[in-house]
Amino acid sequence: MNDTVVVDDVSKSFGRSRALSGLSFTARKGVTGLLGPNGAGKTTLMRLLATVLAADSGRVRLLGWNPVYDRLEIRRRLGYLPQEPAYQRGFTVFEFVDYVAILKEMVDRRARHDEVRRVIGEVGLADVSGKKIRTLSGGMRRRVGIAQALLGDPELVLLDEPTAGLDPEQRLRFRALISRIGENRTVLLSTHQTEDVAALCERAVVLKDGRCVFAGTPEELRGVARGRVWQSPRRAGVLSWRTGEGDFRNIGSPPADATLVPPTVEDGYLLLLDGDKVEAAV
Amino acid sequence: MSTAWHMDDELAADYARGRTGPTLAASVEAHLLACAACRGKLAPEVPRARLDRVWDEITAAVDAPRPTSFERLLRVLGVPEHTARLLAVTSSLKPAWIAAGAVALLFAALASGETSRFGTLVFLAVAPILPVAGVVLAYGRGADPAHEIAFAAPYSVVRLTLLRAAAVLGVCVALALVIGLAVLGDGGLMAVWLLPALALTTLTLALAGWLDPLMSGGAVAALWFAGFAAVAVYEVRPVLFGSVGQLASLAVFAVSAFVIFIRRREFS
Ligand SMILES: Nc1ncnc2c1ncn2[C@@H]1O[C@H](COP(=O)(O)OP(=O)(O)O)[C@@H](O)[C@H]1O
Ligand SMILES: [Mg+2]
Ligand SMILES: [Zn+2]
Repeated sequence: MNDTVVVDDVSKSFGRSRALSGLSFTARKGVTGLLGPNGAGKTTLMRLLATVLAADSGRVRLLGWNPVYDRLEIRRRLGYLPQEPAYQRGFTVFEFVDYVAILKEMVDRRARHDEVRRVIGEVGLADVSGKKIRTLSGGMRRRVGIAQALLGDPELVLLDEPTAGLDPEQRLRFRALISRIGENRTVLLSTHQTEDVAALCERAVVLKDGRCVFAGTPEELRGVARGRVWQSPRRAGVLSWRTGEGDFRNIGSPPADATLVPPTVEDGYLLLLDGDKVEAAV
Repeated sequence: MSTAWHMDDELAADYARGRTGPTLAASVEAHLLACAACRGKLAPEVPRARLDRVWDEITAAVDAPRPTSFERLLRVLGVPEHTARLLAVTSSLKPAWIAAGAVALLFAALASGETSRFGTLVFLAVAPILPVAGVVLAYGRGADPAHEIAFAAPYSVVRLTLLRAAAVLGVCVALALVIGLAVLGDGGLMAVWLLPALALTTLTLALAGWLDPLMSGGAVAALWFAGFAAVAVYEVRPVLFGSVGQLASLAVFAVSAFVIFIRRREFS
């Protein structure tokens, strides 16, 4: 098959807390969104795929390699942006990316500097490449993180919540950048924003309590809520909130006379997360 | 600033032939970086290949990091450029830390003067601990804020750690030798703490496989000072620096190095 990422029945615990329990999913070339509320296990999964953590049990294959035995091969083809990465205080953008390039085994200075300049240009930071990282805005800093993840043209790119804390305009630029990156690579992007997934992911995986509760296209995720979203003048359903027009938007099992409305990806996601409650209410 | 003037043909020709002085050349280059028109003007004056090479060198010089003096020293000593860069970002190899280490040693050396009851013991107690502190700083989480990124990179974490530890040890030994000789002026005395320093540093690294580096360094330092005090109470010239001590140091070094070797996968 063309699956570049295969995760099969993987579990990982920290002490007594179980971060992943029997997680299975696959991903291939293109952008796959990992959705899940805080604590769902997204970061744990990312660190596992980045070969920073080892699974307690289960099987993982990345680009055809096994992280237990072929860690180096995977690392040579990997770009990784951790959640909330920290950078060396006094480094300039160029110095930081250059430092990571050395850790990525780029030895020849001339070729390495060309590559550093290329990735800095790719994320649109060429103008500030000589500026200290600590003087940059949060959005620019995030782009520095993406730039280092692109060094050496990796086949697998892992981005842990790259859009968290960005304003709407920065988000748009980010989505354009990330979908460009995903044209010929496997990109896994974790987020708790359904708009990110609807806007740029070919596939979505929803995590809940360390398990995969959905895998499919964003359209299929939207389909989860088909026929289960309606508008009414009174509060109803399992999840319900007042819209701008004064009506209530309800998710759950609609009454017979309900005015159904087309669902969004968000509706499908919410329904998955609160699915047990919805089923109980039927 | 770059649009206040442009190169005329004469200046372009002079610059292309290298007839401008260094000051004027620098200002021309600064302008060329910002002005495509003048770059175009220069093109017919210079053979294409040479222009490309010059241009490469200019852009490389402009945004590439300037090597620190420490980095240049390493290069002189034959360390490859990329390795020198990895070492130069180590916090305990920064000038501020080296200066602090030198001051600590200096005080230890001064306290070890003839008037002190314990003679040179203060210096002998402090000198081997300095590289331990340096290694803790070089290896601790705080030392590399981007450690998560570094972990996921192919460069071996063990190799990086040992490289930095070796550099820290080298700098500390050089410092202690210079200060010890200058203040205490005893060459034989200078040799006896080298092996303990190596042993304590390696032990710190080996323990860091289980403990937080700070804990590991603290434990080693506590152990060292306790042992030192115990021995110093009974003997003026402690066994620690006699043949027994040297052999023990060698044993600690060998065991620690072996532990690091067999646990090298766990490090990353
Ligand atoms: N290093 C760690 N030590 C202890 N517990 C952890 C650690 N990392 C994650 N966890 C726990 O694992 C669970 C999943 O966390 P995480 O993977 O960060 O989720 P997410 O990224 O989806 O918010 C949480 O309950 C969290 O407290
Ligand atoms: Mg997370
Ligand atoms: Zn001009």
